[in-house]
Amino acid sequence: MTQIIEHLNPETLNAFIDDELQASEQQGVQQHLAGCHQCTLRVLSATQHKAATARAGHRFAPPADALARLTAQLHREPQRTARIHSIRPIAWTALAAALVLAISLIGWRQVHQSNALSAELLDQHLATLSSAATPQVISTDRHTVKPWFQGRLPFSFNLPDSGALPPDATLKGADLAYLNGQPAALLLFTIHKHQVSVFVVQRTGISDNPAFSRIANNRAGFSIHYATTRDLRFIAVSDVNPADLDLLVSAVVKAQSPG
Amino acid sequence: MIHGINLPAIRFKVLMFDTLSVPALFAVAMQSRNPRHTMASAAAHSTAFEELALPLLPSLYNHAFWLTRNHAEAEDLVQETFSKALRAFGSFRPNTNFKAWIFRILRNTFLTSRTGIATSRTVFLEDHPDVLDTTDASPTPEDNLIRLDNQAALHAALEQLQPQLREALLLCDVEEVKYKDIALILDVPIGTVMSRISRARRTLRQLLQPQFGEIQ
Repeated sequence: MTQIIEHLNPETLNAFIDDELQASEQQGVQQHLAGCHQCTLRVLSATQHKAATARAGHRFAPPADALARLTAQLHREPQRTARIHSIRPIAWTALAAALVLAISLIGWRQVHQSNALSAELLDQHLATLSSAATPQVISTDRHTVKPWFQGRLPFSFNLPDSGALPPDATLKGADLAYLNGQPAALLLFTIHKHQVSVFVVQRTGISDNPAFSRIANNRAGFSIHYATTRDLRFIAVSDVNPADLDLLVSAVVKAQSPG
Repeated sequence: MIHGINLPAIRFKVLMFDTLSVPALFAVAMQSRNPRHTMASAAAHSTAFEELALPLLPSLYNHAFWLTRNHAEAEDLVQETFSKALRAFGSFRPNTNFKAWIFRILRNTFLTSRTGIATSRTVFLEDHPDVLDTTDASPTPEDNLIRLDNQAALHAALEQLQPQLREALLLCDVEEVKYKDIALILDVPIGTVMSRISRARRTLRQLLQPQFGEIQ
């Protein structure tokens, strides 16, 4: 196993986020990251750039008529070499394949987006675990944390009173974050000494990305739970007991309708 | 440190100039001897090809559009790629990376097009080893504040990237192709792939930097 003592050089950093390192090198980098907040931030930043590039690069889908022609071509090619099929069944098969492909194209994009999103959630949660990571606002008081977001987010939300939180759950602070290209409030809690990240994003019209509802319930040993209200979406990430995580999410959701 | 290239790049050279490789030519020669057998095997051959190629259609089209910047040309490019790839499918080795193989054909087809010839005339400094990245290309903590939520800015920055840098970055980040396979597709050493990706990322960050400070 390679122990990396110096800070990650750009080449290693790129190879790490592209999953191009060998297992022993990767372990060495992970050990370094566990104790180096500066490099953890660089990795987080690079990962976010990579995810944003992937989203921006998935940009050009074939128009329906081009898709049908290209799909038909794949079916027609044997005709040129074997000349054993009549055109009518081929046309129907091509049409069916084009439909299947059009549906799978939508599915492919959604699955890709959901996977990227759960990776992004986990990356951001892991970044908060570093002992040197300090929240932008440090407070256990909801009346301090909530106003801090005024002018920083295009939406508002309520925080539960400390008495309404599940047993041994405490608000630690908050960060401004970006999730799938949307501004988000990142609320930091602890439950039984386990850290919990709760992301709050707006859920309006076209900005309500369907990829959010397809996030896997767990990733790399961390539970990912989510809930929605009419206007907001809440996503919680932690390695705490899933039942405790649910209680916290319920408390945060309940705070949105105090009446 | 980085995994080496295992596949011989030379076998793709055939595709660049003549899509009919030796096994494919052998298959064509056999066709005249036993037509019934050949028709059945050709059908199986094209079915196998279709099963591999169809799921890649969206990716191939997206990449073709980034290369050509035009819907009609992108469609023509994918169409020609399918034709060439099917004819050369006999030379494709099962259990090797089909995606890298067909992206390689797509790229070589593009390079022989009018737009591709014009693009390939440009020579980039970063490909010369003497002037490889010497500056720190890694992100700084301040880069976290770049507004990645601004899709329009990201699109504009991607479009401003030099085509060769963009191509390497898209294969890596969008198509999730490994460095060694990107080296095969682009027909460059793996070190050049890493250099292009690094330079592309640094340039993107620089292009997005003017966004800095807006969230204050």
